[in-house]
Amino acid sequence: MTTRTPPADPCATCPAYAHLERMGIKMDTFDRVVALAGNPNTGKSTLFNTLTGLKQHTGNWPGKTVTRAEGGYQFNGVRYKLVDLPGTYSLLSTSQDEEVARDFLLFGQPDCTIVVTDATALERNLNLVLQVLEITDKVVVAVNLMDEARRKGIEVDARALSRDLGVPAVPISARNGEGIMSLLSTVADVIEGRIATNPCRVEGTPAFQKAIRELTPLIEHLVPGIPNARWLAIRLLEGDARVQQAIRSGELADIVRRQRSPEEQLSSTMAIVGRQ
Amino acid sequence: MIVWFVLVLGCIIGVVLPRIGLLAFYRTWRATRERELVEDALKYLLNREYQGRHATPESLSGALALPRARSMRLIEKMEAQGLLETRGAELHLTPEGERWALHVVRAHRLWERYLADEARMPLARVHDEAQRREHTLTAAQLDELEAAMGYPRRDPHGDPIPNREGSLSDVAGTPLTAWPLDTPGRIVHLEDEPAIAYEQILAVGLRLGQMVRVLERTPERLVLSDGEHEYRLAPAVAVNVTLAPLTEEEAARNHTIPLSDVPLHQTAEIVALDDALQGFTRRRLLDLGLTPGAVVYPELQNMFADPRAYRVRGTLIALRRDQADRIWVRPHRSN
Amino acid sequence: MATPEDVLARAEALRNSLPSGFRDEVVQSLYAEAERIARRAVKTAADRKYDLDQRIDRLVTAPVSGLLIMLLLLTVVIWTTVSGANVFSEMLATVLFGFGDWARALFVSWGVPWWITGFIWDGVYLCLAWVVSVMFPPMAIFFPAFTLLEDLGYLPRVAFNLDWLFRKAGAHGKQSLTMMMGFGCNAAGVVATRVIDSPREQLIAILTNNFVPCNGRFPTLIMLATIFVAAGFSGVTASFIAAGAVVGVVLIGVAFTFFMSWLLSRTVLRGEASAFTLELPPYRRPNVLRILYTSLIDRTIFVLWRAMLTAAPAGAVIWLLANIPFGNTSLAIAIAGWLDGFGRIFGLDGVILLAYIIAIPANEIVVPTMMMMYTGASMMVEGPGSSEAIRALLVEQHGWSLLTAVNLMLFSLLHNPCGTTILTIYKETRSYKWAAMSVMITLGTAFLVTFITASLARLISHLI
Repeated sequence: MTTRTPPADPCATCPAYAHLERMGIKMDTFDRVVALAGNPNTGKSTLFNTLTGLKQHTGNWPGKTVTRAEGGYQFNGVRYKLVDLPGTYSLLSTSQDEEVARDFLLFGQPDCTIVVTDATALERNLNLVLQVLEITDKVVVAVNLMDEARRKGIEVDARALSRDLGVPAVPISARNGEGIMSLLSTVADVIEGRIATNPCRVEGTPAFQKAIRELTPLIEHLVPGIPNARWLAIRLLEGDARVQQAIRSGELADIVRRQRSPEEQLSSTMAIVGRQ
Repeated sequence: MIVWFVLVLGCIIGVVLPRIGLLAFYRTWRATRERELVEDALKYLLNREYQGRHATPESLSGALALPRARSMRLIEKMEAQGLLETRGAELHLTPEGERWALHVVRAHRLWERYLADEARMPLARVHDEAQRREHTLTAAQLDELEAAMGYPRRDPHGDPIPNREGSLSDVAGTPLTAWPLDTPGRIVHLEDEPAIAYEQILAVGLRLGQMVRVLERTPERLVLSDGEHEYRLAPAVAVNVTLAPLTEEEAARNHTIPLSDVPLHQTAEIVALDDALQGFTRRRLLDLGLTPGAVVYPELQNMFADPRAYRVRGTLIALRRDQADRIWVRPHRSN
Repeated sequence: MATPEDVLARAEALRNSLPSGFRDEVVQSLYAEAERIARRAVKTAADRKYDLDQRIDRLVTAPVSGLLIMLLLLTVVIWTTVSGANVFSEMLATVLFGFGDWARALFVSWGVPWWITGFIWDGVYLCLAWVVSVMFPPMAIFFPAFTLLEDLGYLPRVAFNLDWLFRKAGAHGKQSLTMMMGFGCNAAGVVATRVIDSPREQLIAILTNNFVPCNGRFPTLIMLATIFVAAGFSGVTASFIAAGAVVGVVLIGVAFTFFMSWLLSRTVLRGEASAFTLELPPYRRPNVLRILYTSLIDRTIFVLWRAMLTAAPAGAVIWLLANIPFGNTSLAIAIAGWLDGFGRIFGLDGVILLAYIIAIPANEIVVPTMMMMYTGASMMVEGPGSSEAIRALLVEQHGWSLLTAVNLMLFSLLHNPCGTTILTIYKETRSYKWAAMSVMITLGTAFLVTFITASLARLISHLI
């Protein structure tokens, strides 16, 4: 399972040393877990292969017939495990793919999530980004297929996008390797807290808002320290059986406990101290 | 000699073996059949009580098509289980009986919803199939089914689905025969019993959620219009159709056409998804960005003109004609 | 202190207090926000839209050109696979069988008992070598070609073109893609049904996938078509007739797929959930390296590995059956004798039935197993070298007729999925019921159809 050890080389963060090493399936030890989400046909698997090389672990998600791919990369001396989530348009439906993606973001607790978007159809892709932002605030948006967008006369202002979303957006072109390094350093910055995120949350209708405002404190009260009570409230209102079960079984409390375990905290402090 | 012995022994074991033997099969079959009977009786009693009348042993044996003696045995058994009481000639449900009856009604209507939305079964067949399946699920499984379908409130005929606690809200509406002339209304309920009347309603093409107005009413017939087609019904059938006044949003839905009628290469804006579009399909279409206000552009059709591909929010999505029929749009002025 | 149940009850109460369309509104407000953000971040130069894509799309979905392109691509892929695989198969067979002979000789020189040598090298190893040399080359060509079309973005257009036909049969247009995958390997075809997001349509695609003959069954079909159907003709005509016969058999398989899909969607699968959506992604330049890698590792090696696992024990069984004496023949011949009467009912014979029973793990070994029994050899053999000699062996010594050949082709097309595929169906559906169903449907169809053709043939010969 997740073994986290502090990075080896303390001086590796200097930009001059920026260095990507594809580790493929050699990931018996890793420091960070990064999830890769995105719509279908956005070049998500191209980015996955660019980062991890061709070798990867493929199998099924436990109990599901949905393909799961995992690979590793090392960036500036920190080893990352990259988990490829199934490509989905949304996280709200009951299809197997969406359930897998949703469960991993919530219960798998990745250190950071890269949402791959298609620069030529940004509006559609932002729908998923906004949904991911409801669950977790450690998000980096990769605006992929920039080369294709340019060819079609589409310009994307990544700065405006970052400002509106409240999380960094990095223009890339996974096919040509364009922007990969800056994407990875942004991911590292978000994980280590060097970039603070303030994700945009969608308001919805007044009645809905009121219901969420009423339910969220109840969940926070039930599971103190839970990071995404608001999202859980939304899911409960929608009647998500998985979340209902997680609340009933106390699974959520376990997650919070795991997050706060002293060992865990020690290793992450050491990681940050070691890099300064 | 030994062969015969083994054969006979084998047969005996095959018959009496617990759980997988023939006898065990027969027992489970009998028990299931018995439970179905009890549940059908409960449903019938509940239905009568909602109509303000109480059932009698005679009407029960008529409704379940049982011989008299058999239905008497059933009533005795149900009384012993505390599900009903006989008061004089009338049969009354006990609170326990009512709870169980509501569970069956809930199962029936959830199944109808599932079969109509998720399995896309023709409406005329939904009732019979649900009749068969309503006895198969436990309360917990029903909750799961309900959650998976996103907590529907009405079955495909417009009847309310009882919630877990068994409470049931009524349909507010006016029967078609009493609806004022030339006033737009929305069909909120189609009674599915008797089946002959229901089939006629479906055969003329009326469906739940449709907006209609009454053009003409005589003792022989009623003429309705939805702006496109005219429908003729006998008053005896029309009683089974219930209408309610339009909400503001529904009134705005006028002057729209189905997406499938928009010619190729002409943009249109989505006004609403039809109420008949429910369940997984509705959620998937919304997730794909086919929300009210979105601009769609029919870009491509295949050699059979079904499905067609529409450009929505920058992506090309293929939809079948029966889905596009249920997306209401307002075409943009062609330039 | 609120308990979990309190929170859930409160959530349910709040849910019931919201208007019934609030789920729609959640999605709507998400998209409204997305629209707002995108409008501020994206600038589109006017008039430069999806020109090239649109032109290609119109070409590949138009009635005449669309159909022609589809047929052309399918023909090219299958022709390349079949002809290219022939060359590689022979090379691979030479190497693998050569190694087997050498190892066998080594064992003999060491004085290892004949039955150990036979069991290992003439049984298990021979079967493995056979499966690998027949299976690997076509897959190594077919899967990359298929993945190339997939990466280009062409395949969803095929589903788009054909969906109307599949809808009539109660199925999903993407089933056409899983059927094409089935040409490569039915097990891979079954895994490919994951692209169908509606459970009912996915089950239909899984249960009918086997009606598409896979690479393992193509050689049998081609051999029978060449030797029997095209026997009276010569040269170019003969090869056209043979090709036509194989295409005819494939079309029969497609017809059965549609018929069975139609039947299933109206019987056992009535009342299962159903939905349709299909995205037509923009055309993109494929990444050749990744295609080669994923198609070779994810698909070819995966399928080959599963096939080898099931083929090794089959090889052992075949060798044992051929070498355990029974009276004055071998056990295999004796069993074939018992099955003969049953086989005749369907216009087949005992040897064919036994070969199919043994070959449940992998269809590639049907022909060599049959030849082993017909020639009386003690291990799998290719049979006589020339097609005249094979014809003579089968017709004159073992009483084959045109009916036997035709029925064998039909049986090979329609019979039960191989062991690997059955296992895959179980893994995908996670249900013994559906795995058993897939066997019963196909086997039932195979016996029914061959029974009808055999009876018709008998009736006609009776009348004449």
